Amino acid sequence: MIEFRKDYFADERDDDLNEIGKPTQRQDALGHVTGRSPYFDDHLFDGLLHIRCVRSPHHHARVRRVDISEAERMPGVVRIVLGKDVPHNLNTLLSLLDFGLDDEPLISDKKVSYKGEPVAAVIAESERQARDAVAKVRVDWEELPAVLDVEDAIKPGAPVVNEVYPGNRFVYHGKYDHQKLRFGDVEAAFAKADRVIEGRYQMSPIEQAPTETCGAIAAPETNDRYVVYTSTQALFFSLDTTSKLLKVPSNRLHFIGGTVGGGFGGKVDSLHEPMAVLGTMLTGRPCKYTFDRAEEMQVGAPRGAERWYLKDGVMNDGRIVARKFIGYFDSGAYTRLSSYAIIKGVGHLPGPYTIPNVYADVYCVFTNRTPATAMRGFGITGVDFAIESHMDKIAHELGIDPIEFRIINAYRDGDMKAHRRLAKNTALIECCHVAAEKAGWSLSPAARQASSLRDGGGARAEIPHTVTDEHGRVEGYTAGSYAQKKRPGGSRPQGTSGPAGPVAAQRDSIAVTPSASSPSFDAPPRPAPQPAASSPPRPAAVSQPERPAEQRRVTRFSSISGLRRR
Amino acid sequence: MPVKVESFDSLDGAARALSAARSARFLGGGTLLMRAVNDGDQSFDTLVRAVDPASRQVRSEGDGVTIGAGVTMAEVVAHRDLSFLAPVARVVGGPAVRNMATVGGNLFASSPYGDFTAALLALGARLELVGQGGRGIEIDEFLRDRERYVGSIVRTISVPRPRDPGAFRFAKVSRIKPKGIALLTIAAYLPQSAGRIRGARVAYSSMGPRPLRATAVERALDGQYLDAATIEQAAAVACDGIEPHTDGLASAWYRREVAAVHLKRLLTGERR
Repeated sequence: MIEFRKDYFADERDDDLNEIGKPTQRQDALGHVTGRSPYFDDHLFDGLLHIRCVRSPHHHARVRRVDISEAERMPGVVRIVLGKDVPHNLNTLLSLLDFGLDDEPLISDKKVSYKGEPVAAVIAESERQARDAVAKVRVDWEELPAVLDVEDAIKPGAPVVNEVYPGNRFVYHGKYDHQKLRFGDVEAAFAKADRVIEGRYQMSPIEQAPTETCGAIAAPETNDRYVVYTSTQALFFSLDTTSKLLKVPSNRLHFIGGTVGGGFGGKVDSLHEPMAVLGTMLTGRPCKYTFDRAEEMQVGAPRGAERWYLKDGVMNDGRIVARKFIGYFDSGAYTRLSSYAIIKGVGHLPGPYTIPNVYADVYCVFTNRTPATAMRGFGITGVDFAIESHMDKIAHELGIDPIEFRIINAYRDGDMKAHRRLAKNTALIECCHVAAEKAGWSLSPAARQASSLRDGGGARAEIPHTVTDEHGRVEGYTAGSYAQKKRPGGSRPQGTSGPAGPVAAQRDSIAVTPSASSPSFDAPPRPAPQPAASSPPRPAAVSQPERPAEQRRVTRFSSISGLRRR
Repeated sequence: MPVKVESFDSLDGAARALSAARSARFLGGGTLLMRAVNDGDQSFDTLVRAVDPASRQVRSEGDGVTIGAGVTMAEVVAHRDLSFLAPVARVVGGPAVRNMATVGGNLFASSPYGDFTAALLALGARLELVGQGGRGIEIDEFLRDRERYVGSIVRTISVPRPRDPGAFRFAKVSRIKPKGIALLTIAAYLPQSAGRIRGARVAYSSMGPRPLRATAVERALDGQYLDAATIEQAAAVACDGIEPHTDGLASAWYRREVAAVHLKRLLTGERR
């Protein structure tokens, strides 16, 4: 039952739209209720082979040896695939958007960093035969100490989860070990505030739990192409990822999506399509690779855990004058999409409120847990839980009605947001009015008369004098861009060779390249926490042409960050 | 390694086949075993089943009921002589599971399953095993050393019928309703004479690896009137001698914290 409150903002609307604002039937509803919607697994192929992975029972372990001799002789086994069989066995999802370093193999061959990480894949005539052969693969593990907590993971001496980021922190923009937000001067505001109220908020991972588990079927097609039926939520993302991992031009891949049997963000990681196509390339036969339920829960990437520390400076009349965030996203063992979630989340801070001084340090931390990925509003949902819980806590401590406390601090049209965009179409105050009305909650006349259309802008539209810092500065990385490699006038910095690290040989196109010739900035005010004491040696200098400092600073960043130049 | 299925007309034939091969499992309703088959469980390669109609019979005799081990939860719900167990069977799984899951299979189900067994334990059921005559064994004895009976087949379960239907109480605590698995199940049989509880039997499931008796609670209730003071005393010892486990549903700490609350609600008759 939808109720439209057209009494609000009536003059901003013509109400002459055919679809928007009107209930409509989902286009797939008829297929679903009649049981006729086709899913990827409804496509039948003669001679279909089944792929099952050999997975790590450990959170963190070195792979000394994978012995497939007995498994290869099991009935029905057609082929056993190892990391060396993957043409380009290192990827990060957002490399397609020019964001982050390749850090995750499709099939690991040196080390596993989370429980369930694949080290081999068995292709067999039946699923049962594939499972029986998986049980016969002998892996010689050397168990390593694991780190499962975000704050433990960034302590000096913590086990290195992800060799590409030896400090267990994603590197933002080639510059910092965290994403920064600076707006005004929170420390000065704390000193002047009547009260300073702190809080710690923790969210656990959440599994998307789709009814249909993730999977894909690949088959040979005419003209040397491969056809792929997949449950993916991101068809071209999966196609491009497959193209990169398998070094196959994308025009040889014919991807067919369709009904997703429940996704909620959990079907964008593109793990199944490359594996299914690789199986088909190696056997010449149709191959299916799909998670069973236990894999969907243990290996399928969840919404990541988040930990937030909030510190607010408030006046006794209910105005928030400063808000400081320290946030930790648990990315699990690899980057996947958490790096992007943080960019999105930081753009949202400090929530739908106008606060003159805002500060945030948000870390994307690698731990020996299942890699995290997308799920409904990821990057926002967790921090909003923290913000709104903290709002209730402050209202309680100040003895102010929690709804009125939100109205006092609500952003209004024309206010400057901390990410330096003017707020428009803000309607938090009106939402508060309706929520209070529905709950039979009485508000003071002043709160009732407030409007998001009034009292915004003016001084509230100005960007305050902002205190900046260089803490968390990392050296040895430059922001590059393979998305721009082929553009004319390519004098911008770009990765031309990989780092002298364990993965160097496999990395032939990267977005951000460690480099010894990165520009030197002023010394950070605090000792940079990276690299951790036990980190492997910093990547050695690689041959990188000297460039004028001026050019090196002119670096474009990913469009997803909303930042153009810096 | 394809899985073989061997069918027998009688439970005795099935029992012989089962004892002959260590890699064989007896198939009751299959709600747990077929899942293991689908998961490629490497610990067995043979399923033994019996299509013995006797194993699906319910006989009312004297002050008890004898249930064939192959009787399904749906049949328990529907049978007029088992109305005191119907509320228990009704909360096992969803309709599809109840249609297949058997009383005998539930006896072997490890935590978080085994709600029905907790009820049988509280009621003091006896089990007759195939190949063993006589009066059979007490369910307490069976559960105490359940691993020993893994190669056995249960023929029947005899349950004393509560004289006062209100004396038997049952609560399954799950987070998802109506089909969620239990984070805690409590079954209590509290017969009264002259207003006082005599011979209380209280059983938990999902508070350990197998259903177990809450003996401290029983002692607190025995010989007492079921009043507020008694209930407080029983709740205070809800977890005495019990070491709950941590699983995906709840931590040991959480189970210990809430067991007393749910026990109290069960004893006061408070419905939630």
